[in-house]
Amino acid sequence: MIEVDRLVKHYRVHERPPGVGAAIRSLFSRPMRVVKAVDDISFKIAAGERVGFLGPNGAGKTTTLKMLSGLLFPTSGNARVSGYVPFERNPEFLRSIMLVAGQKQQLLWDLPPAETFELNRAIYDLPRAEYRATLDELVSVLQLEDLLQKPVRQLSLGERMKCELAAALLHRPRVLFLDEPTIGLDVTMQAAVREFIRRHNERHGVTVILTSHYMEDVAALCPRVIAIDHGRLVWDGSLTDLVRETKPEKRISLKLAAPATTAELECSGARVIESTELEVKLQVAQAQLPAAVSELLSRLQVVDMTVEDAPLEEVLSDLFARHAE
Amino acid sequence: MRRYLGLLRVQLKAALLLALQYRLEFFMEVFMALLWSGTALVPLYVLFSMRDGVRGWTAEEMLVVVGFFTMLKGVLASVIQPSLSQAVEHIRKGTLDFLLLKPADAQFLLSTSKLELAHLADVLAGVAIIAWALAHLPGRVSLFGFVLASLLLACALAILYAIWILVVSLAFRVVKIDNMNYLIVSLFEAARWPSSIFRGALALVFTFVIPLALLTTYPALALLGKADLSHLATAVGVALFLLAVSRVVWTRSIRAYAGASS
Amino acid sequence: MNDAASRSSPSRPRLRGPSFFRALRAMPGLLRVGFAGAVAYRAEFLIWVLAYTTPLIMLALWTAVAAEGAVGRFGEREFSSYFAATLIVRLGTGAWVIWDMNWEVRQGTLQRRLLWPIHALLTYLAENLAALPMRIVVAVPIAILTSLLLGNIWVRDPVQLAIIPVSFLGAFLLTFLPMAIIGTLSLWWESSVALYDLWLALYTVFSGYVVPLELFPPQLGAIVRWLPFRQMLAFPVENLTGLIGREQALHNLALQWSYITVFAVFAALMWRAGIKRFAAYGG
Repeated sequence: MIEVDRLVKHYRVHERPPGVGAAIRSLFSRPMRVVKAVDDISFKIAAGERVGFLGPNGAGKTTTLKMLSGLLFPTSGNARVSGYVPFERNPEFLRSIMLVAGQKQQLLWDLPPAETFELNRAIYDLPRAEYRATLDELVSVLQLEDLLQKPVRQLSLGERMKCELAAALLHRPRVLFLDEPTIGLDVTMQAAVREFIRRHNERHGVTVILTSHYMEDVAALCPRVIAIDHGRLVWDGSLTDLVRETKPEKRISLKLAAPATTAELECSGARVIESTELEVKLQVAQAQLPAAVSELLSRLQVVDMTVEDAPLEEVLSDLFARHAE
Repeated sequence: MRRYLGLLRVQLKAALLLALQYRLEFFMEVFMALLWSGTALVPLYVLFSMRDGVRGWTAEEMLVVVGFFTMLKGVLASVIQPSLSQAVEHIRKGTLDFLLLKPADAQFLLSTSKLELAHLADVLAGVAIIAWALAHLPGRVSLFGFVLASLLLACALAILYAIWILVVSLAFRVVKIDNMNYLIVSLFEAARWPSSIFRGALALVFTFVIPLALLTTYPALALLGKADLSHLATAVGVALFLLAVSRVVWTRSIRAYAGASS
Repeated sequence: MNDAASRSSPSRPRLRGPSFFRALRAMPGLLRVGFAGAVAYRAEFLIWVLAYTTPLIMLALWTAVAAEGAVGRFGEREFSSYFAATLIVRLGTGAWVIWDMNWEVRQGTLQRRLLWPIHALLTYLAENLAALPMRIVVAVPIAILTSLLLGNIWVRDPVQLAIIPVSFLGAFLLTFLPMAIIGTLSLWWESSVALYDLWLALYTVFSGYVVPLELFPPQLGAIVRWLPFRQMLAFPVENLTGLIGREQALHNLALQWSYITVFAVFAALMWRAGIKRFAAYGG
């Protein structure tokens, strides 16, 4: 349903090299530098999938999303979404997708959300009955009853986000692009948004493509992850596989009754990452985990122990660092 | 040594080019400011191709009023309006607090925070218009007239400033005041013409506007030798009154604002 | 699914316009919401309306002149009617799309509009059109007041009466379209708004806003008659107050709508080129 084949987006940017001579020369000929925002990306996404785009800032995630939603033309390569070529901006195509950007609001600011919903109804030419049914469903799931008639500027960020999502889904798009949807939201609201998106995807089979800085978003929502760095595809697969292949070490967090020396800790075969008086974090290879755990438990006075994967942030920075070499 | 000299030469050239780049925009703004003043002269031109005078004012005499208007408009647009819109932006963005923390007086800081020099061209244009008009008028300007005109002009500036402070104080309550700003500028357009225009049946409609018209009419009357100290007394009285009122309103508003936001 | 798609290549994509009829069906909804927005802003709106002081000031100036003798065929009453009508026409035909466009390009919120399956210029048009009822609500009392103070100054010819709303709509479009064209330019140059200032200055002089075009020196009069500015203000005013006869009114009407057609085509083409550029360089 989404097919991307060797997609490339290069920007030509005027170079302003430092130095005075260059500034003068720039009067006559302006050297251009090519910024490779997206550099030969290919992937396929089936209908109903939830995919997360991960990558550092400027990696090309948002650029890819904009190309898939028809806002940008690629420099070369092909993309197909629901059988349409996005950048032809066929109105039927536009009716079948939606892009929600966490930082760019689409609600009308001085009017209640109900008016934005009406606006979308007119724009997407939705039959009244169908529109009512969809709206009622979204309002009840997102609990918007009390918010409908309040001017948007009086709503909190979380309430606004919920209304944004409702407005975005009124026309029942088949594909939903989400660009940093939970940015700025508090923890409970983030969880609520994630839950809503997951449910919506499961119930209606909407394909979801998400970019986010928050690892929890991707970990909770996206079984499949596409990692992009410097415009290149670095990983395309499941998140668990990503962790296992990139940073398969486990983390052991210990709470001790009495302090232990580094030597004692490292006897177990694990490496100390952090330690305060009574709290220690160790890292150990997957294979050595059972042995390390039994060593630690037998040797030290352990009050509490947690074993988990390395934090996603670290996994990703490892991944990107490795890719940069 | 030669290398450094060469480098210096290149540096200077670059600095010049940079200045040139901004100067282009600057000249564009100057051009637009003058163009607007020019378009306003069109009705005057048409009028005086068919008539010799209006309500006792000849073309040249009316031009003196227009000249003072252009000067005041130039000061408004270059000094008063930019710094006070800056103030509104501060209020809207909530960054006014930083300003209030400074040891200097907030009103002073805000009033001098931003200048748009391009509109000073209007001030020069205004002076030029007055000079041209006076040159084409019989008689000469007396010293008394000149001093009186200058004082009346100063009062006019003070009154405009006070009005603007009042408008900005309003911004503390009603954040969006772009249109109030625009409204006052539009009302001030009446000051382009001698105040005796606004007479007859229409005087009632124009009660708000006539005081504004006096801001330019009085200095013109002074230069034309038709004003006396009573005009000065009125102008100074109104100026002092408005300055006091605006100061009070401003301090009250700032205090209320600082108290409200924590 | 869409074999037309296979005919285009990424380097030269074919931009298809939206289905026109669906867009038309959307208009009532767009207008309704636009009107709600205008009503939400009614306080600010009132102040913008009060700021139309120029016609009244010119009224004062020219009636003062006419008090000492008519200028051409304009006596006090004629000048008063002319400028009262100017105010009414101005109120009934105003647009502000250039500020919106400039703002949206700068803030990046153009993105939202581009995702809509309706041509952006149509959505802009709906928003500006939607405010007209509010403006007319203010214009009507002024018209009534004018009638009370000056008597019946309005045109009587039935054809010309029918032309009144058409000429108003035309003047609105002639205000909107140049704004849209200059606004589209901000997809290329940030300071395209300065161009609008220039257009506005020309409008002030050549539309009859500050002096009836009849009173212009004859050499200028010939050119002025053919410029679009006349169709933006002077024509509706002169038709409304019967300063021109039926034949002239029809002639001007044709001219007005010819200009509109030209501007509309130009605006559509410019917008298409602008979007291509916008999409090439990033939103």
